[in-house]
Amino acid sequence: MGKRVTVGQKIGQWMRVLKATAFSTYKEWVAYRSQMAVTIFVGPVFFLTQIFIWRAVYAARTTLNGLTLEQMLTYYGIVAVIGYLTFDSADWDLQWLIRNGSFLTYMLRPVSYCFLAFAQKIGHRLLALWVELIPVYLLFIYLFKIDLVPAQPGWAILSLGLSFILVYLTNYCIGITAFWFTKTEGLRRAFLTLRDLSAGMLIPLTFFPKGMQKVLFYLPFQFITYVPTRVFIGHYELAGISLSIPQVVGLQFAATLVMFAVAQLLWYFGIKRFTGVGA
Amino acid sequence: MRNNIRIYLVGAKTALASRMAYRADFFMSMLIMLLVEMAAPLITIMIYQNGATFPGWTMYEALLIQGVFLLGKGIAAPFFFGIVWNTIERVQNGTFDLLMIKPKSVLFMAIVTGFDAEDLGKLIGGTTLFTLALSRLPMPGLGEWLQFLLLFLLTLAVLFGYGLILAGLGIVWIGNFRVYQIFESITNFGLYPAAIFSKPLQTVITLVIPVAILGSVPATVLLGRPSAGTIGAVGVGLLFLLFSLGFWRWMLKKYTSVGG
Repeated sequence: MGKRVTVGQKIGQWMRVLKATAFSTYKEWVAYRSQMAVTIFVGPVFFLTQIFIWRAVYAARTTLNGLTLEQMLTYYGIVAVIGYLTFDSADWDLQWLIRNGSFLTYMLRPVSYCFLAFAQKIGHRLLALWVELIPVYLLFIYLFKIDLVPAQPGWAILSLGLSFILVYLTNYCIGITAFWFTKTEGLRRAFLTLRDLSAGMLIPLTFFPKGMQKVLFYLPFQFITYVPTRVFIGHYELAGISLSIPQVVGLQFAATLVMFAVAQLLWYFGIKRFTGVGA
Repeated sequence: MRNNIRIYLVGAKTALASRMAYRADFFMSMLIMLLVEMAAPLITIMIYQNGATFPGWTMYEALLIQGVFLLGKGIAAPFFFGIVWNTIERVQNGTFDLLMIKPKSVLFMAIVTGFDAEDLGKLIGGTTLFTLALSRLPMPGLGEWLQFLLLFLLTLAVLFGYGLILAGLGIVWIGNFRVYQIFESITNFGLYPAAIFSKPLQTVITLVIPVAILGSVPATVLLGRPSAGTIGAVGVGLLFLLFSLGFWRWMLKKYTSVGG
């Protein structure tokens, strides 16, 4: 008779896999830490451009779309920090594995690819935490005098965590499309462009025309950057709709669940199309 | 010279044919290259549509600067800026040696084999923005056009210089494609009117690191109100090109083959 595994033991097993995978990914990427450290130069230089652009724009006014100059710069500071925290390349990684056939080796493992790649992301971002995020965060605070302290830290951490998962799931879905298209570079770029624009990474969503804001409100992309940024600031508004922080984080949680369901559905149909040769 | 052009065209044709293996992906990538470059103009349009401005600049004047910048990048990206990824990738994979044993200069071969077909989308985007912005502004006179063309040639030469420096870095900084981001972050200043930056920064991007020459300097000549320091920017641009050629040669000497 087989030994019955309890839910607690199962979770323990998963946590061990997660820890081992994250740790090995961390060690693997430590070798490329100088590449990651490029951010310490690139991040502040990009931010410096933003400072000059918005100072010029605010030269003859104190507010624009309800934001003061300080709030606008804080917005871009938070957007940058969120970007460093949630970045991943799940889309590129998966399409590459499918295209060159090495995805086959992942099918032989006793752990789902979705979970494994997520654990890899955790390891990768843990390294980025001290190589990219903390140095840039400190530079923003002490060099540019940007207030990067969340208005409600608990909700901000929860929202950032959900954004971390959401970015992974959306990128993972794009990666899955390689089961149909093989080479998805164009689709990947198209999606990332649309995502960054609709998520408020380029400009706050309140700058879009009112009709467009209504469309953006119903798209899931705002939950990736715009929502965590507004939660960080402590006030949410889009398309004339104001929501309390718990309400908007609740919506973000729902969006994450929907995205997870979409990813599972895509995987269910996509995996049937995979054909691996050799191995 | 004719022989070199023929070799270059063969390289471009091969790159295009190879990219056509995934046709749908190629056309989508090209379209996206066009759209991605439109981020800065989009921000500018939104700023102006929300009632704000860059002081002293109309929307189409600001867009013209971005149009010139993107037109320059649109020409550079497919035709010669491919030396950057080509060099980095080849050094990483160990196939850079193959360029060194050809009966042509390594630099020429790196350009020929680095033709980037999908970046033609950037050229379409740059041309469209430049034409659109210019059509909404008073038409420049012949003298202004001539000055612009000379300065724009220098813009291309400076972009070539940046390509050489990044590719040279790729020889010693193995597999680091993030050099592109270093380039993007520095040249990002060139997308906006130099006048919006502080005086010290204007001096840096005009007379120390040639960034203003990528957009602001040629565009202001076309607008009939040349930027302060245009002559200096020309001198710096030429010096930069010489420096980048020297830098490339220096890095090439540092190349250590992995054998094969």
